[in-house]
Amino acid sequence: MAYVATRGGERAIEQSERLFRSEMGAIDGARVQQVKESLPYLVDRVMGEASLYDEYLAALALAQTGGELYEAVLLLRAWRTTQPRLCVAAPVEQDRLFTHRRISAAFKDIPGGQVLGPTLDYAHRILATEVLQGETYEPAAVDPAETPTPAYHPGVSAWQAENDLVDLPEPDAVLGNDIPDLTREPLLFPSKRAHTLQSLARAETGGVLALGYAAMRGYGQAHPTVNELRLAEAEIEVKHPDGRSFSAGRVKVSQAEVVDKKGEKLGLGYAATFGWNEVKCIAAATLDLNSPGAEKGSPTEEEFFLYHTEGVESSGFCIHFKLPHYVTFQSSLDAMRDARAKKAAKPKPNVTEPAE
Amino acid sequence: MTLKTLTKPWEAMSYGFLDGSAKREMRRKMLKSVAVPGCQMPYASREVPMARGWGTGGLQVSLTLVNPETRVKVIDQGADDSVNAASIRRFIARVAGTPTTMDTLKADLIQSRHRIPEEVLSEDQILVLQVPNPEPLRPVQPNMSIARQMHADADYGRMWLQLYEQIVRSGRVMQGASYPSLVNGRHVMTPSPIPRWDVPKLHMAKHLTILSAGREKRIYAVPPFTRVEPLVFSDVPYKVEDHAKLTCHRSGATGFFMNEIPQDDGSSTHEVSDSEWGVKAIRVRDGEKVALGETWYKDGEMPQ
Repeated sequence: MAYVATRGGERAIEQSERLFRSEMGAIDGARVQQVKESLPYLVDRVMGEASLYDEYLAALALAQTGGELYEAVLLLRAWRTTQPRLCVAAPVEQDRLFTHRRISAAFKDIPGGQVLGPTLDYAHRILATEVLQGETYEPAAVDPAETPTPAYHPGVSAWQAENDLVDLPEPDAVLGNDIPDLTREPLLFPSKRAHTLQSLARAETGGVLALGYAAMRGYGQAHPTVNELRLAEAEIEVKHPDGRSFSAGRVKVSQAEVVDKKGEKLGLGYAATFGWNEVKCIAAATLDLNSPGAEKGSPTEEEFFLYHTEGVESSGFCIHFKLPHYVTFQSSLDAMRDARAKKAAKPKPNVTEPAE
Repeated sequence: MTLKTLTKPWEAMSYGFLDGSAKREMRRKMLKSVAVPGCQMPYASREVPMARGWGTGGLQVSLTLVNPETRVKVIDQGADDSVNAASIRRFIARVAGTPTTMDTLKADLIQSRHRIPEEVLSEDQILVLQVPNPEPLRPVQPNMSIARQMHADADYGRMWLQLYEQIVRSGRVMQGASYPSLVNGRHVMTPSPIPRWDVPKLHMAKHLTILSAGREKRIYAVPPFTRVEPLVFSDVPYKVEDHAKLTCHRSGATGFFMNEIPQDDGSSTHEVSDSEWGVKAIRVRDGEKVALGETWYKDGEMPQ
């Protein structure tokens, strides 16, 4: 069996995986807890891209992959897809979102008020190097407001609709298991509205940003104004088999609504995702805003941006080029060599002066 | 009736990893793809514990088809011990408890990337080909929804034009692997990136071939005894790789698809790409008694 023994593929892959894991060492519950507490925005991003809301599983995936984000998302998705769908929660209405942060760039003030909430937007981005000198960086305590902001707010677009500035989309009456589910059906084009929003919700943040940014810079027709950006918690309202509704808990969600003038009305672009991820929502909503009527093959066309922001697919395909391709390469070489031989064998035509 | 009689004990994973609803969808789509040979059927394509582009489409087919008695062979570039083939084989055996083999003749199901074994497959064998890009029209039409319409209309004009342009520019069709082929006289498919050498093995074959692209979420099939005709002009015959006269430097076998191995002195040697066929040839040479299957190619020629 000399032929096979010279390679020893199985042993090699086993050892290479061990080598990777040895860098991270043992993983225990304490480490998962630490990842969850110290990196909530990373956990959020991973949960959004995996379309699975579970902070502990997401933290575990991050710990297990050493923060290799694409791997972490794949781990969660592969786990998620085997889980039964027990039930579908009731739709979440805008004014039922427990809101932590809600801002609008369209108006100086909005009904319900601008709520800054938690953000680094106005922070001076200075590295706390003193920590590396042995000091502890202790964030200053938050001074609570005298009157707390109400937790529930209507959408800004609701006011615009009242004032005939925007046509809100027709309410979708489809409920429960009849809602098209992108994780159980293929994405086909023109895409169902539910599929588009689901696909953007689980899209890879960097990918959405790249294409959204292209649209913002001028490769799209519509220039976004952030009508409303929200970080909130949504109630998961499910039905008990005996008919009673109850809350199964809250999940962090973020959403962005962007607008642009479209004739005499405003055009709307929307995106939402699990976890708090503002960049992704604004970029995704911008793509959504630009997609109606976009030219085939342009970055703002639905098929183009939905396919190419799918992080698990794109990263997987990218790294697959590491796999051996020597059979296909050999096949190409054969065609190339043959074409070259044919060319060499062909008698050279007499080169004459070009016609005057 | 109690809750206990209605439920099963908790298990971390379903048999064969995929849950029942995923397998049911796979079975339906496989039947559909057999019913319309060469036509790409969209499917949900679940995530599996492997990266997209690494055989996840083929894997979902294999995981759906196997039972604990199915003898599984997995190859990549023709080799059983190629790292990813080893990984997939280990995974199937781990989650489905299937016996594995490297012998083409003993396998019930063969999952392969980029090759069809050199020994003829029989009626009771299934070949599962991993497909990176299921769309033969991609080079002339990258938009999936337009390409889908073109298939529906059997609108293959641009495909022919592309082949014609290659002949005009280079004196021959420059397509390497993945040679576009007409299935059952109706749908043009890509046979996956198998070399041109392997495409005639699909024509009127006794076995069922299922081609599955996990990342692109498309599945299609070549049922037994189905015509698979590479797209060629009547005056420019189909040409497989010029490997008929090459000899394997390890086994001495001649007349099969070879891997080219560059040498320090600037020359090349060759070895049989179908690694198990190479192993058999070596064992025969060393005087062992080995069951050799009939091969598709005889003396480097595919009988018509």
